[in-house]
Amino acid sequence: MFNPFEDFKDFLAKVRGLPLDQLAAAHDQVIAELASGYGKLVEQELKSLVWFVEHNRVIEAYKTATEVIQDIGYDAHSIEDFCYVLDSGSDIPYLISGPAGIYVAALCNHTSEDQIVLRLGEMQRTLHFLGYRLPHGKSLRIEGDAGNFTGSALQGGEITVTGSTGDWTGAGMTDGKITIHEHCGRNTGEWMQGGEIWVGNRIRGLGRMTAGRIYQGGEPVAGDTIG
Amino acid sequence: MDHLFEIKLTAPWKDQEKREEQLKEFQELLKELWPEVRRRHLFPEIPMPRFDNNHGPVAMEIRNKQIILNLDYIKAMSTILPPSTVLEALLDHGISHYTCCPWDLSTHLRFYARAKEMLGEGDLARKATDIFMDIVADTHAVKERQSSLPLLYKSGVRTGLEELICSLYQRIWGVDLGCPEEDETVSRLATIPYLDKRRWMASLTRFIRGIRPLLEDSDSSIPDEHTRMGQHGFQQYAPEEIEQALRGFAVEAKSPEQFADVLEDLQNQLEVINEDANEGMGHGAGKPVDANRLYYMKLAENYALPLRKKEMKGSGYLHPHSHRPWEVCQPFQDLDPWCSFGKYLPGITQVWERREGQIYGKTEKTPNCLVIIDSSGSMIDPRNHLSYAVLGGGCAADTYLRHDATVAVYNFSDALAGGRELLPFTRSRSLIYKVLCRYFGGGTALDLDEVIGVAEESEADIFLITDMQITNLDQTICRFSRLQNRVTAVHVGNKSGALRFIKGSVKNQNISVFGVNSSNDIPRIVLGSVRNYLAAK
Repeated sequence: MFNPFEDFKDFLAKVRGLPLDQLAAAHDQVIAELASGYGKLVEQELKSLVWFVEHNRVIEAYKTATEVIQDIGYDAHSIEDFCYVLDSGSDIPYLISGPAGIYVAALCNHTSEDQIVLRLGEMQRTLHFLGYRLPHGKSLRIEGDAGNFTGSALQGGEITVTGSTGDWTGAGMTDGKITIHEHCGRNTGEWMQGGEIWVGNRIRGLGRMTAGRIYQGGEPVAGDTIG
Repeated sequence: MDHLFEIKLTAPWKDQEKREEQLKEFQELLKELWPEVRRRHLFPEIPMPRFDNNHGPVAMEIRNKQIILNLDYIKAMSTILPPSTVLEALLDHGISHYTCCPWDLSTHLRFYARAKEMLGEGDLARKATDIFMDIVADTHAVKERQSSLPLLYKSGVRTGLEELICSLYQRIWGVDLGCPEEDETVSRLATIPYLDKRRWMASLTRFIRGIRPLLEDSDSSIPDEHTRMGQHGFQQYAPEEIEQALRGFAVEAKSPEQFADVLEDLQNQLEVINEDANEGMGHGAGKPVDANRLYYMKLAENYALPLRKKEMKGSGYLHPHSHRPWEVCQPFQDLDPWCSFGKYLPGITQVWERREGQIYGKTEKTPNCLVIIDSSGSMIDPRNHLSYAVLGGGCAADTYLRHDATVAVYNFSDALAGGRELLPFTRSRSLIYKVLCRYFGGGTALDLDEVIGVAEESEADIFLITDMQITNLDQTICRFSRLQNRVTAVHVGNKSGALRFIKGSVKNQNISVFGVNSSNDIPRIVLGSVRNYLAAK
């Protein structure tokens, strides 16, 4: 009997497997694991509906974040993609800027790469605590704006923000350098114990600092060299 | 500079006759290859490709679904690869654009709009969109159609951007294309699921984020023909497809501004049907299509409103019903020469027998419509944000036009102070939308004598859409309630005037009032208003 579909028969078997299939699937898997880790952190942290920024609480959240990401194999690009997944709110039901930022900071601090670039300019919301505890030898470049507590407790790393940051930038940092191309908010350098903050434009307010230096438009405005 | 310029130098065409011979050879080859390529792509409905005899820097272009191959490019590449391989690879690429990505203009427009939103500049957006679509189409051809594209990409000199794309192909296809070790951008781009159609928009966003520094780098001087496959403009689509895509894009656009912005960029390439074209002769240069008007026109086309015709008295006209043979004693005026074999003979010549039609005393007809739209300062400016008043007015006008009626538009702000425009009854959709889209932005008062005059004279239905913040609202209610015309009033929001209007008109059978409280309600309310009105009858 004549088969009218004879011509099409051999087409079905000839789909070729490409490395792209594995690469895309592996990336999706990593993002799913990162999302799951974030979910665990939020479960742990969000006992009440409000998340307060308290010293102990931040330390505790960071510790939890470090634990949940231990077994995940990710790279710097995955961190950026995860930030957008957080922002879109499609796969993760809620973005809480504090814990989310601490989680992203933990990811940056524990990735194998030393130079991390996060292109966050397209994000609708900003994350707090980006660059929290960034260790010596690592650099983080944020393209776009960052929220409050950017580079807080910085431990020798280098942070560059091409946009602006919120309040409490570099709070409690001990060493390292933060460069902000645009503006930063109030209490900049609060409890700062060392390192440098360079701001391209306006600083809305300086914090009480113990040591370190703050520059605005290339000129020192606070710290060891002043007065 | 560009590898294609190098190709020109190595393969100059001096002899026209030789060129003609080459063209014939390639045409013969194309005739042989085309059925096989079509077979591999499951027989897409596209015309036979042709060769372009002009010198051009890119390998191919697509116009009206037809692939146009560059003879120079193929000749030059044929010195490195067998001509059949070059041709097959180019055809695979072109057909994949048709069968896979972008597939249709709607997808292409969505890509472009997203890219424009991210990159800001039209040129950059076009480049980013083209490169993304090329990658998807090529990957589809390689994965599912056993294409020889890798051989083509492996050969020839590559520009900076092409080098990057080849590195990406090398990584995601798993084929050695002779590219250096991949860089940071390639590893960023390599994890994007290009072949997952459902995630194309997210993939494009990730792709642009990855490639943005390269695109924006002014030193890289990416030419217009940024890859060997060249630009894939919007000329490849048919007019019907453009109409359909614009309808879809009007729904998806975030604001009239975005729609206007994208359309302005593509005006030269998209052959948008200008509905002003048949409005008579005249002098002067043609005007570009008003994007805001087009936005509301296309958006309104997505809603089809039901409308029952109004009952009117029949004429009792005697109509020709059947034939019977003509007799000599009968009059001549009812003779039907067409059914009489051209003869005037009793018994052969046929005569019409007239009967009165079986009518019920009333026939249904669609009345004309007077759309009264409020464009005072309290209403949304239709140029910046989606105005549900304009959309609602447009939907109502379209419905009447579809039923062969005519529509008049009365756009008012403070009409008594001159803030009004009256368009007489017309069937020109373009003119109707032009008046609907006008925004005065002043105070709010109706010139009742003028409106009532038009309504009474025409016996048309009235469709009033306003926020009811009208200074002479009480007089308006009073005058409208005395009319014989059907009035459908829609109030936008729940301002105090709306309640007054409802209370004032509740006893009047000819007035139906509907409110809009949320953003998506207007089209539904307009639909509902007609239905509820019919139910009320």
